[in-house]
Amino acid sequence: MAGSPKSPNALLHGALDALILKVLSRGPSHGYAVARFIEEATGDALLVEEGSLYPALYRLERRGWVEAEWGTSELGRRAKLYRLTAAGRTQLDQEVATWRQFSTGVSKVLFAS
Amino acid sequence: MRRSLRSWLWRVPVDQEVDEELAFHLEMRVRDLIAGGMDPDQARRVARARLGDIDVVRRTLVDLSHKRDREMRVMQWIDEFRHDVVFALRQMRSNPAFTFVAVLTLALGIGANAAIFGLADATLLRPLPFTEPDRVVRLFEVNSAGQRTAVSPMNLADFTTDSRTLLPGAGFLPGVGGMVMKGVDGTSETVARQWVSSRFFEVLGVPALVGRMFEPGDDWVNGNAVVLSEPYWRTRFNGDPSVVGQSLVLDGEPYVVTGVAPASFRWNAPASIWALVQVRPSPELRDQYFWRGLARLAPGATIDAARAETSAIAAELARTIPANKGRTVAIEPVRESLVGTDLRMTSLLFLGVVGFVLLICCTNVANLLLARATARGRELAIRSALGAGRARVVRQLITESLVLAVLGGLLGVGIGAAILAAAPSMVPAGVLPPAITLAFDGRVVAFCAAASIVVGLLFGMVPAWQVGDLSSARAIAEDSRTSTGRGGRLRGILVGGEVATAVLLLVGAGLLLRTLLAVENVDRGYRAGEILTMVVDPLASEYPTNDALVQFYDRVAEEVSGGPGVAAVAWASTLPLGSSMAGQVSFEIVGEPPVDVPQQPRADRQVVSWSYFETLDLPIVDGRAFTSRDTGESPGVCVINEAFAARYFRGTSPIGQRLSLRQGGNTRQPPVLREIVGVARQVKGRPDETSELLQVYVPMTQDGLDDIYLLVRPATGSAGALASVVKAAIGRVDTKQLVSVGTPRTLDDVAHEATSAHRFRAVLVVAFAGLALLLAMVGVFGILAYSVQQRTADFAVRRAMGATSRDVLRLVAGSAARVVASGAALGLLAAMAASRVLTAVLFGVEPLDPLTFGLVGGVLALTAAVAVAGPAWRAARVDPAQVLRGR
Repeated sequence: MAGSPKSPNALLHGALDALILKVLSRGPSHGYAVARFIEEATGDALLVEEGSLYPALYRLERRGWVEAEWGTSELGRRAKLYRLTAAGRTQLDQEVATWRQFSTGVSKVLFAS
Repeated sequence: MRRSLRSWLWRVPVDQEVDEELAFHLEMRVRDLIAGGMDPDQARRVARARLGDIDVVRRTLVDLSHKRDREMRVMQWIDEFRHDVVFALRQMRSNPAFTFVAVLTLALGIGANAAIFGLADATLLRPLPFTEPDRVVRLFEVNSAGQRTAVSPMNLADFTTDSRTLLPGAGFLPGVGGMVMKGVDGTSETVARQWVSSRFFEVLGVPALVGRMFEPGDDWVNGNAVVLSEPYWRTRFNGDPSVVGQSLVLDGEPYVVTGVAPASFRWNAPASIWALVQVRPSPELRDQYFWRGLARLAPGATIDAARAETSAIAAELARTIPANKGRTVAIEPVRESLVGTDLRMTSLLFLGVVGFVLLICCTNVANLLLARATARGRELAIRSALGAGRARVVRQLITESLVLAVLGGLLGVGIGAAILAAAPSMVPAGVLPPAITLAFDGRVVAFCAAASIVVGLLFGMVPAWQVGDLSSARAIAEDSRTSTGRGGRLRGILVGGEVATAVLLLVGAGLLLRTLLAVENVDRGYRAGEILTMVVDPLASEYPTNDALVQFYDRVAEEVSGGPGVAAVAWASTLPLGSSMAGQVSFEIVGEPPVDVPQQPRADRQVVSWSYFETLDLPIVDGRAFTSRDTGESPGVCVINEAFAARYFRGTSPIGQRLSLRQGGNTRQPPVLREIVGVARQVKGRPDETSELLQVYVPMTQDGLDDIYLLVRPATGSAGALASVVKAAIGRVDTKQLVSVGTPRTLDDVAHEATSAHRFRAVLVVAFAGLALLLAMVGVFGILAYSVQQRTADFAVRRAMGATSRDVLRLVAGSAARVVASGAALGLLAAMAASRVLTAVLFGVEPLDPLTFGLVGGVLALTAAVAVAGPAWRAARVDPAQVLRGR
């Protein structure tokens, strides 16, 4: 991977986790819904690699930030639903703060006149 | 946790779950693509492509799921464990009496074990305080009679110098003597000194703290040299490094200090200085056997290889050198000779004994838990009915036991530390060599931790096993007031086992106690009561001839007898029950066929003043004692002891017979001829000697010794009170303060010391056996009190049906008697089988001593009666009307 040219919309490391947490903070949803939401919200500006979405979800579950349970999707299909836990909410707040700090810092430099 | 637990309990297999989730994703994506106007085939392809390599994703997800499940199981286990511990602590708090008794019992058992482990660890396991102690060996010569002897310097050199298996050897003298050191201010002090050879520290690998240690060649090139011990250097010379290279005046001669040995180095006896013996190799030293030999195994060599090689060298020497005829060599690891069979045996014995005590402690706690488990039967049954599962209930019970054991272990560590801190003052001097140190350290703590876990599992198993097959429905349905059955029988078996163990220990304690009584009451031979004694060691250079020496001794004796309260004064080279300072003589009876010197029999040489027999009131059974007329000029005389007369003059009178004596079997000097003038009553050399000591008494005037015991009998009262009188009298004669005077003791002190190992063993084992008996009786009491409480209604009914209180008493006492009697019988049988292992430490009593076995039975019956009395009495006093109304 190292050395390959970076596509303009590649996700920064760790950003996917923050996005997933953010999506789930609006309520429980299944993996596909998470993927769709990110696509629509960013206007496809950020291309979520679907192959890494699910591993990310599983990792978040392992860390106790989200919980998974089989339930029913909006169309009445059986689906695995993810829900943010209290620990996940704290984590999201932290990610947001970090991201804000980071982007402010970078912006200051890039847009300095 | 709660929710994941549920999903974990009825989950679908992990890979099926992953497949279903991915299928759902693809299906949704395809549907959306088709809705967006794509044809189904292409939609499916695009959907799959967007997911990437589906196999890789799938494997990753399955893998992550497995990891998650594993972690969850561990988390759950920890969670349950924490819950169990909290529950156990709550249980314990709600039942403080039970907790107190159980924890205290365990603490006593673990504490006693920790202390004894400290002793066993020091004697059997812990490395000795020098470099690679396992590579150091002791070298012995073995004489033609098969006895181990010290080695001669020449033989030691031949065994080790050119050896492939041993590095050059060293020697030391076992005893620590006093050297008089004169201070600049004119005062003098006695310094504890041990003689060693130049390679002593090299063989043991002891580095110098300051200066350097002895080096080969020091012994005849540099003159007198000493190494100081660190504690002595610190207290006497304030740790001043400039003392190295200086000269100290010891026994009137200058000795150069070469260095200081670190305090961590300790050897067989407490010495303040190590002094070099001047040994220049010479043929005359070939048969001077004085070194205790030491050597280090050469790199890569085994002790067996060293044995083979030195044996070959010894055989060669025996063939070529007359003095070595019939002599062989023996090698053993240094620990074996330093610790000694006796101490090793004692450590193992104690370890076994406290192990049994701990077993009884466990049994008692198991019994307490069992009684409680029966009472808690309903609680446990309800828990399992609520879905806790048998394994879960058992785990909870074992956790409770472990919590108890850990608390007991923590307290036990404290008890063990306290015992070990007090031990140095309780262990008699001479039982432990200085190289063996009792210490409370990480090893003892680790032992306690391990003991707690094992013990917790051991006694936790019992109630867990009982609960194992508990039938919930029955237990809940049953009235909790009626319960016996399996729990009761199990408790009976456990208590019987406790009684058996206590009996086993009591028999051992009894045998050791009888041994102690036997050695204490051994016939010492002399009849005098209290005698004061001390070593007097004048300088050889001040009294060059025996006459000068004897004159000095006479003057001291005269001065001392003039002192107030002194009845009689004598000199002797050996104390009854004490160690000999005069060695042995080989002898021949003049007129009998001659025997080669190495094959001649030997007897203990005892140099005494003529007043010796009178002072000690030691009867002369035949002939006469020495008199003041036996002088250096008069014909040589000697007195033999009863064992000597019985063995070599069977039936005939030895008086008038002559002996040809050689000091230490020395062949270069002509033998000394002495006429036997008397036979003295047998005196013991050791309290537990099994073959009687042969002794030849020689008058001091005819055979001097510059290191001798002064013996003083008081006119009345205590001998100890004379110490200052005697020291003052010696000071008046020894105006130059060049004589070293040892610590005053009484002959009773000497006898006490000689029996100290027996006393140490007996006292400790009796104490532990007493503890075991107490614990076993607490067990008997506990089980009986519990069963009486449980059967109150039964007794009430019996009484109502016409049974007398005596009948009830008999019923209760009878059931207890059955448990105790079967336990006792088992214990006595076990003791009969096991008492033989004690043979090595017994004296004057048979392993199957009927008196001991009988007394143990009696003691047990008495204590059991006390334990049974209370509960039985309570059962007999049950008032039927009151009890039945209460129902």
